[in-house]
Amino acid sequence: MASNKRWIALFVIFVIISLGSGCQGERKSIEGRCDYDGAKIEPLYAVYFTLQDGTEKNFCSIACASMSFSALKKQIKEVRVVDEPSGNKINASDAFFVESEIVTVPHVKNRIHVFAKKEEALKHIQKFIGNWVENPFLL
Amino acid sequence: MILNALSITMIFIGALSALLAIWGGISSLILYRKWKRPATPEEKTSLEDRSYLILLIMVIVLVVRLINWPLFYVTLQSFISDIEGAMCIFGVTQVKVDLTRFSEILKPITFFFIGAWLILHVLDRATKTSPLMRRKLFLLSIISLLVLIDSLGDIFLILGIAPESLVSCCTTITDILNRPTRTTPESIFGPQYARFLQSIFLITHLALIGFVGLILRSKKPRRAILGFLCLFSIVNAALFLLSQIEVFAPRMMHLPFHHCLYCLWQYVPDSIVMYLLFILGTFSVGWGFTTELFGRQGEAADLLPGCLRKIYWFAFFFLSASLMMLLIHLLID
Repeated sequence: MASNKRWIALFVIFVIISLGSGCQGERKSIEGRCDYDGAKIEPLYAVYFTLQDGTEKNFCSIACASMSFSALKKQIKEVRVVDEPSGNKINASDAFFVESEIVTVPHVKNRIHVFAKKEEALKHIQKFIGNWVENPFLL
Repeated sequence: MILNALSITMIFIGALSALLAIWGGISSLILYRKWKRPATPEEKTSLEDRSYLILLIMVIVLVVRLINWPLFYVTLQSFISDIEGAMCIFGVTQVKVDLTRFSEILKPITFFFIGAWLILHVLDRATKTSPLMRRKLFLLSIISLLVLIDSLGDIFLILGIAPESLVSCCTTITDILNRPTRTTPESIFGPQYARFLQSIFLITHLALIGFVGLILRSKKPRRAILGFLCLFSIVNAALFLLSQIEVFAPRMMHLPFHHCLYCLWQYVPDSIVMYLLFILGTFSVGWGFTTELFGRQGEAADLLPGCLRKIYWFAFFFLSASLMMLLIHLLID
């Protein structure tokens, strides 16, 4: 009976320690990652939603952002995307979207590219057999 | 093949256990057939000596195969950085989809049968006359076949996963709107299916813990009741899986639209402990039934109630602990 109690005590301690370390690890690992699937964000392909309450949601790709967009649409104030050639953040309504055979974010097979200038987008279309895509973040 | 310490270990364990499973399986089948035949005392002694050697070696092999299940996932996890497009184990499973799925189904089945056999072995070892020896040998020959298939599956899978393979990961499959884990409960419960799923799982899980508690209180539980409890634990396991995918995993990850359990293990590492406790709790309920089914023989029948009590005590504890971990997570979140 005493041995049973010792086992129980050990197990409870084990569960508490793993729970504590797990929660800590959880906070660390999710910070700065995609708010859709938790993947690491490559800044060149990121999408940023600013919500009405001022909070920001970050996504690793157009694919992840567009999957969240329908659910968050009513709360979104502004959507910013990154111009691929320059790396600058621009408003999604000012951007040109192109779909081509080049994959930007492999884990979601994202093929949609963002450009601030129409000439750059056209160049990409011609070079990589692309086509125009409508802005997926129309508010 | 992706070469690292874990993949080499997996192949080494796979090759060794495959060879020993062939030897152990055939030997135990031969011994099973010879066991009941009339024999001289010398022949009987030789038979017993051989059986003890086989059992000793096979116990080691089986324990290693028990450890192999978590090792399998640790190995797949170690491959993530070498597979383009993989961000969790799901991506790695997409390189050899059918073989990985086959291994993922076979491993828990093998784990369950090995556990059941080891409990029978421990029960039989506690007796003086080994009344379960013949049954043990027969069951061992069947388990050896499972071990052989599982080991060969491991070897082919590890050898078959090529580095730099290009795959899509979980987001493109587990999060689509027409995923079966969503459409099936939605067709039954409607758009509010998540809330129903959560409640039903909590009710069945608590009911399972309650039933196990009742078994612990009863002096001589009936076999039919233990069988029913075993089936109920399977239903509970299915609900656990469904509710984890659809409700709990997204909440624990703080990613409300993401439903990948492999990502959960990655982002919330202590969920692995919770899963381990749940699996051991659920399997313990099954092991209680298999021990009752095969262990009621001769001298072992006298020791059976004590053994069953221990097994169901473990089930009660593991199931309660996993529920406690889940509730703490939900409260923290």
